[in-house]
Amino acid sequence: MDKIAEIKTVCLQEMQNCESLSALQDLKVKYLGKTGELTGLLKSIRELPAEERPTFGAKVNELRNLLEEAFTEKTKQLKALEMQRKLQQEVVDISLTSVPTWGALHPVTLVENKISQLLTSMGFEVLAGPEIETDYYNFQALNIPADHPARDMQDTFYITDSILLRTQTSPMQARLMEQKKPPIKMICPGKVFRSDSDASHSPVFHQIEGLVVDENITLCDLKGTLEYLAANLFGKDTQVRFRPSYFPFTEPSVEVDLTCSNCGGKGCSLCKGTGWIEVLGAGMVNPVVLENCGIDSNKYTGYAFGLGVERIAMIKYGIPDIRLFYENDQRFLKQFVK
Amino acid sequence: MRVPLSWLKDFVDITEDIQTLCKKMVDIGLEIEEVDYLGKNVSNIVVCQIEEIAQHPNAERLLCCKVNIGNEIIPIVTNDHHVQVGDKVPVALHNAQTANGLHITKGKMRGEPSFGMFCGAEEVGITKDYYEGADYDGVLVLRKGAEIGQDIRKEVGTDDYVLDVCVTSNRQDCNSVLGIAREVAVALGKTCKEPDVSYTEESAQTTDLVTVNVQDCDICPTYYMQGLTDVVVAQSPLWLTSRLAKVGLHGINNLVDITNYVLYEIGQPMHAFDYKEINNKTIIVRRANNGEEIVPLDGKTYSLSTDDIVIADATRAVGLGGIMGGANSGIVDDTNCVLFESATFARGNIRRTSRRLGLRSDSSARFEKGIDAYTNNLGLSRALHLAQKLGCGKVTTGRICVGVEGRERTVEFETPRIKQLLGIEIPNQRILEILSSLNIKTTIDGTHITCIVPAYREDIARDCDIIEELIRVYGYDNITGTLMEGSHITCGGKTPIDAHLDSVREVLNGLRYDECIFYPFAGKALFDKASLIPVDESKYIRVMNPIGEELSLMNVSLAPNMLQCVALNLSRQNSKLKLFEIGKAYLTDSLPLTKLPVEQKRISICATEVDFDTFRTNVLQVVSTFVGTKGIKLVRTTDSALLHPGVAADIYFGDVLCGYMGKLHPQIAANFDINVDTYIAELYVDELWNNKKEQTKFVAFGKFPAITRDFAFLCNEEVLAQNILDEFLNLPLVESATLFDTYRSEQLGAGKKSIAISVVFRDANKTLQDNDIEKQAGKALRAINEKYGAALR
Repeated sequence: MDKIAEIKTVCLQEMQNCESLSALQDLKVKYLGKTGELTGLLKSIRELPAEERPTFGAKVNELRNLLEEAFTEKTKQLKALEMQRKLQQEVVDISLTSVPTWGALHPVTLVENKISQLLTSMGFEVLAGPEIETDYYNFQALNIPADHPARDMQDTFYITDSILLRTQTSPMQARLMEQKKPPIKMICPGKVFRSDSDASHSPVFHQIEGLVVDENITLCDLKGTLEYLAANLFGKDTQVRFRPSYFPFTEPSVEVDLTCSNCGGKGCSLCKGTGWIEVLGAGMVNPVVLENCGIDSNKYTGYAFGLGVERIAMIKYGIPDIRLFYENDQRFLKQFVK
Repeated sequence: MRVPLSWLKDFVDITEDIQTLCKKMVDIGLEIEEVDYLGKNVSNIVVCQIEEIAQHPNAERLLCCKVNIGNEIIPIVTNDHHVQVGDKVPVALHNAQTANGLHITKGKMRGEPSFGMFCGAEEVGITKDYYEGADYDGVLVLRKGAEIGQDIRKEVGTDDYVLDVCVTSNRQDCNSVLGIAREVAVALGKTCKEPDVSYTEESAQTTDLVTVNVQDCDICPTYYMQGLTDVVVAQSPLWLTSRLAKVGLHGINNLVDITNYVLYEIGQPMHAFDYKEINNKTIIVRRANNGEEIVPLDGKTYSLSTDDIVIADATRAVGLGGIMGGANSGIVDDTNCVLFESATFARGNIRRTSRRLGLRSDSSARFEKGIDAYTNNLGLSRALHLAQKLGCGKVTTGRICVGVEGRERTVEFETPRIKQLLGIEIPNQRILEILSSLNIKTTIDGTHITCIVPAYREDIARDCDIIEELIRVYGYDNITGTLMEGSHITCGGKTPIDAHLDSVREVLNGLRYDECIFYPFAGKALFDKASLIPVDESKYIRVMNPIGEELSLMNVSLAPNMLQCVALNLSRQNSKLKLFEIGKAYLTDSLPLTKLPVEQKRISICATEVDFDTFRTNVLQVVSTFVGTKGIKLVRTTDSALLHPGVAADIYFGDVLCGYMGKLHPQIAANFDINVDTYIAELYVDELWNNKKEQTKFVAFGKFPAITRDFAFLCNEEVLAQNILDEFLNLPLVESATLFDTYRSEQLGAGKKSIAISVVFRDANKTLQDNDIEKQAGKALRAINEKYGAALR
């Protein structure tokens, strides 16, 4: 019996001192294993008088249960300790905030996407036309016959006498109206070409053409649409102003000014003190153009506009020189990352 | 178009300040490019009268004057001995600015006080066209009546604004002071006076002097002629020359000045012929003969073609119609009879001739914009009025008129059309007022409106033109925005291919590639740099009139621009470039173009400082957005003019070539001074799009376990790993096969390598046993050995 008590004391003492799971496992084997101390005790039962054996056996089993419970408890404790230790070892420096940037979209694409997104929600389809275009679609179909003075408004790159690099995205108006009858709501983004080059002119730039032809389309609808665009591009307080102008394929024709996004209309260097910035040309589709495309100009009216994408981007992002768009310096491009 | 404010005031009573005037002009459609105050560089220079002149005590060449500037007498030292007591001269006072940039201050000259400086024409900023005596190179002596103390600008006529007005190309009638004045009157709600065109015919019958024969009416729809006899060629008065000076011309002689004056005031280009030089009393308007030569007033010889218009007499050309008169028939000192021509010439011909000969004049510029017959007549009358007023000669009797006269036109429509276009109503009363102010005689009967449009408004042809006139005067501020409430609902959106290209952009952005945009044209020099063999220029679509050779050929590949961009970025210390462009190649098999070429959409992808495997994966990630991951083939290309022969592949989907990728050839890299590893790819969008993967259909995945087996092969260096993988991938039970190691060593031997792959087998219907796998793998191993001589290690 003393032996049992001694084993209990010693084992619990050793268990108390045990600091690792593996040592605990060894200890467990030492006492509870197949050849462990308790098995030894049980074997020694034969040396006892017969009448003491049942009590002794019961005591040993009692001890086994007690020890097993103690081992389980101690294991839990050690596992918790071990996790604690591990957690302490795994501390990292969490202070760094730098991120490898995503790739960026070109600002021209950003503006095109923004405008497409706004207008497709109003039912505009987005189409593309050829950049190498015929004189017919670029000029004649748009009420600009040969030798029309309006041709001097645009310095045209020619490929042959009748094929050219389109000077505007407007040819898509005629191409679409020949194929599709009203209702038409279309925008056509794309590259256009003029033989002109300085800080505010590039021989290649991007335009977005807009065209709506349907019953009941008025100049007020043009203004409303442009107000919606302006508010979403430059802020909800942006105002739209029409000034008389001339384009052969619209009548009436207007230049469209927006209140300067830089100064809010008070006057600054960007708007040359006027408070207004000229952003696009627009107007009601000239009935001659409708008729050229086989559309009844008494029943249907329409509006059209053409805006310069770089111009919008220059105002929106404060880009000072149009040549930056085509240089594609990484430090320029990366600024437009999402 | 430069318009002096003082000249406009001849026609309209303008009392508004310049800002108000400009704003109102802009509001009705006259854009003001610049407001130029002629006296802007001059300040604090006034008229003074010299009261005393004395020799300077310390300097022989200087004089000490006492001058009256109105409210005080001040001392001025001058070196101009030509001045006299009693003269009125300009004096620059303390802190004055002169037109030639001097800043004048009070001071002492050789000990004597001088409160300023006497000024000459240059300091005042005028020429002899402005003021009598301004050609003298010293102190300008003013007229006796000049007001003492008056700002000099008021005295010499530079207290005036010149407006640079931008006229839209439909408003040819506004390319004149009169035309602008008509618009200004409308803008200010005032009336516009008509120019004085009265004169008395007091000389020979015009038809007795000359016969006009217009041979080709299509190039000259109207031709008017009338003249002067007993001509006195002299200088023009200052009121006339100063006006010409303000628009940038110099006075020449009274007859030439009158034609210039009418050109600016009425907008009619005119020409004055010296009658004695017109042979056989005949003026013929005809097309030039091929090779015919003419010497216009600029003294150069030009060779003409039948597209050019000449004015000829019986024997020779005496003028290049609409562009410049002939040197042989211009006004000279002894001219005693002149014929004024006032005509309309076909603007297309004028434009082409002027461009071809490189000969532009104020006349040709106006004819190119368009002149109407009404203005022909008005201009000629105004010229004769001025000639008589200036005493240039006696006006001949009767006018020769050939061709159509300018007529009013009638435009009719129904008034609801106004609201149909504008979306707002304009009250009838306002309609009548507005159109009347534009000299459009209008009646409204019920809803029917009839407008009689003056002859000079050739731009007004139909209802929408009248409606534009209405709204621009009524005011665009009356238009309030609406959102197409009356229109049909339509389905919007991008085309599927454009929507997909947006996904491609997202994928590339996610892979950290930045989007670039380049010009679609470049030059042979760049294309040659990007090719091992010089490119054949004749295969490119060429711009006839490029800005320069470097922007003359349409791209057939996106690579040259991309490489140039890489080089630029590297030269600016930018590194680890990852760039892409979605652009076009412009392709045709028939040059010169007879129909529109193919514009082939392409994606160009480029990265520096990466390895082939990384780049290949990026490119295939883009390819797979179109065609999925199965069916792509990479075929080695060794003959690319752009890429490293050992690190280049054509990209196929099935048998369709969809692009290429690889490492930049070191020679090309050297051409661009690119000194880091650079990889480039170009993908053909249509080819990929045409093989777009179908919409995803769910496939049940097996519940039985997969078994993975690794194999290592010893093979020759040129064996391609994908071929070995494919032998496994073609087996029915193989789920995937991937390369995980390539190994070379001396032990393996030169030209040998070991390829280690990992193959996953799975059967959807049962758990695979070893012998199933061995049977399957055995087939592949045999094939690999036979085809590629690769033995299992």
